[in-house]
Amino acid sequence: MSAVYAQDEYGRPIIIVREGQKKQRVSGIEAHKSHILAARAVANIVKTSLGPRGLDKILISPDGEITVTNDGATILTQMEVQHQIAKLLVQLSKSQDDEIGDGTTGVVVMAGALLEEADAMLDRGIHPIAIADGYERACNVAVAHLESIADTVPFDKNNTDMLMRTAKTSLGSKIVSKCHDKFAKMAVDAVLSVADLERKDVDFELIKVDGKMGGSLVDSVLVKGVVVDKDFSHPQMPKELKNCKIAILTCPFEPPKPKTKHQLDITSVEEYKNLQQYEKDKFNEMVKQVKDSGANLVICQWGFDDEANHLLMQNQLPAVRWVGGPEIELIAIATNGRIVPRFAELTPEKLGFAGTVKEVAFGTTKDRMLVIEECANSRAVTVFVRGGNKMIIDEAKRSLHDAICVVRNLVRDNRIVYGGGAAEITCSLAIEKAADQVSSIEQYAMRGFASALDAIPLALAENSGLSPIETLADVKSRHATENNPWLGIDCNLKGSNDMRKQFVFDPLLSKRSQFLLATQLVKMILKIDDVIMPGEIEG
Amino acid sequence: MQNQFLQPQIILLKEGTDTSQGRGQLLSNINACIAVADSIRTTLGPRGMDKLIVDNNGKVTISNDGATILRLLDIVHPAGKALVDISRSQDAEVGDGTTSVTLFAAELLKEVKLFVEEGLPPQVIIKGFRRASQLAINYIKEIAVSVERKNESEFRDLLEKCAATAMSSKLIHSHKDFFKKMVVDAVLHLDQESLNEKLIGVKKVPGGGMQDSLFINGVAFKKTFSYAGFEQQPKSFKYPKILCLNVELELKAEKDNAEVRVEQVSVSKEYQAIVDAEWKIIYDKLEKISNSGAKVVLSKLPIGDLATQFFADRDIFCAGRVGADDLGRVIKAVGGVIQTSVKDISHDHLGVCDSFEEKQIGGERFNIFEGCPKAKTCTLVLRGGAEQFIAEVERSLHDAIMIVRRAIKNKSVVAGGGATEMEISKYLRDYSRTVEGKQQMVIASFAKSLEVIPRQLCDNSGFDAIDVLNKLRQKHAQGCKWFGVDMESESIADNFEKFVWEPALVKTNMISSASEAACLILSVDETVKNAQSQPPDAGMPGRGKTILYGIY
Repeated sequence: MSAVYAQDEYGRPIIIVREGQKKQRVSGIEAHKSHILAARAVANIVKTSLGPRGLDKILISPDGEITVTNDGATILTQMEVQHQIAKLLVQLSKSQDDEIGDGTTGVVVMAGALLEEADAMLDRGIHPIAIADGYERACNVAVAHLESIADTVPFDKNNTDMLMRTAKTSLGSKIVSKCHDKFAKMAVDAVLSVADLERKDVDFELIKVDGKMGGSLVDSVLVKGVVVDKDFSHPQMPKELKNCKIAILTCPFEPPKPKTKHQLDITSVEEYKNLQQYEKDKFNEMVKQVKDSGANLVICQWGFDDEANHLLMQNQLPAVRWVGGPEIELIAIATNGRIVPRFAELTPEKLGFAGTVKEVAFGTTKDRMLVIEECANSRAVTVFVRGGNKMIIDEAKRSLHDAICVVRNLVRDNRIVYGGGAAEITCSLAIEKAADQVSSIEQYAMRGFASALDAIPLALAENSGLSPIETLADVKSRHATENNPWLGIDCNLKGSNDMRKQFVFDPLLSKRSQFLLATQLVKMILKIDDVIMPGEIEG
Repeated sequence: MQNQFLQPQIILLKEGTDTSQGRGQLLSNINACIAVADSIRTTLGPRGMDKLIVDNNGKVTISNDGATILRLLDIVHPAGKALVDISRSQDAEVGDGTTSVTLFAAELLKEVKLFVEEGLPPQVIIKGFRRASQLAINYIKEIAVSVERKNESEFRDLLEKCAATAMSSKLIHSHKDFFKKMVVDAVLHLDQESLNEKLIGVKKVPGGGMQDSLFINGVAFKKTFSYAGFEQQPKSFKYPKILCLNVELELKAEKDNAEVRVEQVSVSKEYQAIVDAEWKIIYDKLEKISNSGAKVVLSKLPIGDLATQFFADRDIFCAGRVGADDLGRVIKAVGGVIQTSVKDISHDHLGVCDSFEEKQIGGERFNIFEGCPKAKTCTLVLRGGAEQFIAEVERSLHDAIMIVRRAIKNKSVVAGGGATEMEISKYLRDYSRTVEGKQQMVIASFAKSLEVIPRQLCDNSGFDAIDVLNKLRQKHAQGCKWFGVDMESESIADNFEKFVWEPALVKTNMISSASEAACLILSVDETVKNAQSQPPDAGMPGRGKTILYGIY
């Protein structure tokens, strides 16, 4: 039946498609089955990472670099999956990561569960499009239900309690749960100091997350300012400065050169001396210009040679060299300074101000970092993560990113739903109720969606070492009898299923986006009935 | 097959050349076309499925659009290629109905295959097809309902219905209501005379649900690469003046091959003078720009860090390396002219808009110009869970946009869902009985092949095609000319009342190009195919050059 290879009346093959015989083609129900299998395999991999008791994965890149993580999006991107449908799932978690930043594991688990349910329905002979339509309908019911049960959390700059709790829910599943409070506080503080509460906008470019090996997670700090991985250009410069006026330069400390190609011919000793003198004068002039402007610290994007360094030292002008573009920008924003492209333009107004600038050394290593604090503009912050090894720092950074995203989402929209599977269970019940009112075949698909939603609480219970089915049945019946939408799985074995009391929150935006993304992707996969791939490349 | 004679063998063509001719060849061409159409058969209609195609570079496309699929299949069979071409021409001409046209052409061939086998000369069939297609087109023009653009809201209604029908087979059909508004808004924003759809910008941002897609009344483009200092620029303006440049704003060598000789360094300060001269050039440029009063500066070429910081100091927003099409749309929207020099910028050269803002959409930042006075352009920001997903949404919207565009220009509509095809089929069948001779058979078979569209719609939806078709034939015989397949009741319904509307042009173009393609294939009776020229490295030494005989 295929267009890849056909025969005419005389049994001669007609080649229709280029390299027809080499192409692989899967179609019809077989294609559906293979897609579902692949998607389920992917979902199963990340399933065990879900929830506070979820486990981590080790991923080794082709270069031998090791990543330890339980962030769904990171796991999937590092796995480098080959299968086309699996790739779609990877993109799904990436989309969730881009949009919301959290819930990347949940969205994949949900898509996997939806496809698993679809598999059973396909076996019963339900048309894939009918399943897809039913899912869409169910998803609409679920989203509407989510909005009806959502609670608004009040917060402002002084009352960050609820934000903390939500950040803690996000961090709950991560390696940093050891110093839960600290990280949650860092995330909340970081977001609030850069957030524009009126416009409901959080500019992530102002939050820098940096890490350094050594120390432990507890030593991580939030610096209300900038941390630069550089040191003063001369070892004898003072290690700590107070009330700094900072000149931010993007020109090197050397005699200016034209950009046009030029050549300088020195023909006599006299001239050489002149040149030397000229350079010296130039240095003196530059230092003087800086001094005159009132600056007592120079941050330079480019380098300067030893002579300049020596001169700066002599003139008691501490300097930092080779500071990268983005960092220069961050310093400029934090200190309210202006970036100055040449010495002639230095004026007192263009200087930045910082309360303290100090060089910090860590442990026994020679690495030093500059910490610029008490800046004129407190909107730029840096989170400085410490940890025993690189893997932990990387994972802590990722967790922190998730938490920051969660807080950001609350700043955008301060409605929340309850975590621990509570939202999924109540939506599942709502969909089942709605399904009974649907007359067409989509009713089955809606029921399928409802049972797919159970996959999340099931996985949570399983990962927490509880008996999954028993726990779920218990919670579900309580939902129905008590009509209480905030009952979830008690993952931390605290003895209460009330997520409201346990303070397990998820932003509404995040849950809504999980549902929508998973449903739309599953719909797309269900619509595919034909896959044409180039064959293996020979040789 | 090689030409073989009894004795002695005369080699007429180069070895490896494949020739085939006669009726066998014709039949084999027909078979190839049917096979091609088979591969996209299942994509037709609201319950049609998608195809996932991986090309040799590993790029994945998931699509439901007939033209896209056929293009990606990389068909080499000469007759099969004819079908690909008609689907492409339908795409270019109308933008939608690409699957139908291919299916219909293949069905025409399938119907007449029997006649060919029985020895009916292809020319007779061709003549019949030409006549039938002419009749069909005239009939469509006759029955099409024309909507006058008197009442704006009614007209808008019509456009929305056409858009909804075009989307019904695509991935986005469950969000028809949302997208049809978007599409109609987009098209109505264009200049109603030229309706250049290229002025509808489509930006894709992964993440979010389909519902999060945005319609922007103006221009939006992704934040370009920026240098240090950019974050210190203001990010939103009310009523800004906009300057568009094609000038590089960087401190750089003014002429590449210029050479400067400096005699003495210190005495005459010549060296310093050259440096200053270079700075002056760039500062002059920047000064002129800021004096012009522009608050937003865009350039096709890079804007360096120096300029970025200069603008930041003066509360001007700048973006370098803006794509040519984006810049073109900005100009179209805000007015003004792209300047290639900063000298002599007058007010006429600047554009204006109501508001400019840099906004976060998903993981990306976008520069958005809204409320443009000359707004003959708009931007759709599409969201979705995966790249392929958004790509398919884009293709679907493209189809819908083309349809709306067509409907504006060409105000007559017909009903979709196979209704029009059934009506023409009935008309031609009735007509054929008045014709004498072989033409009768041919026209009747043309009529029969038209039924492939409703039949395939039923098949794809899992309905009983025979049952539904019989019901339809009966209704049409009674004179209910807009009865077609109805997905909701899984039966038939009056699709005109159900608002399944399509521009009449889709149908006329489909019929004329499909029958032309069928005629083309029927008129070929010999194929001479040269052996594939060997890639040079596989080297077959001593062979002469390949002589091309291609007549297909």
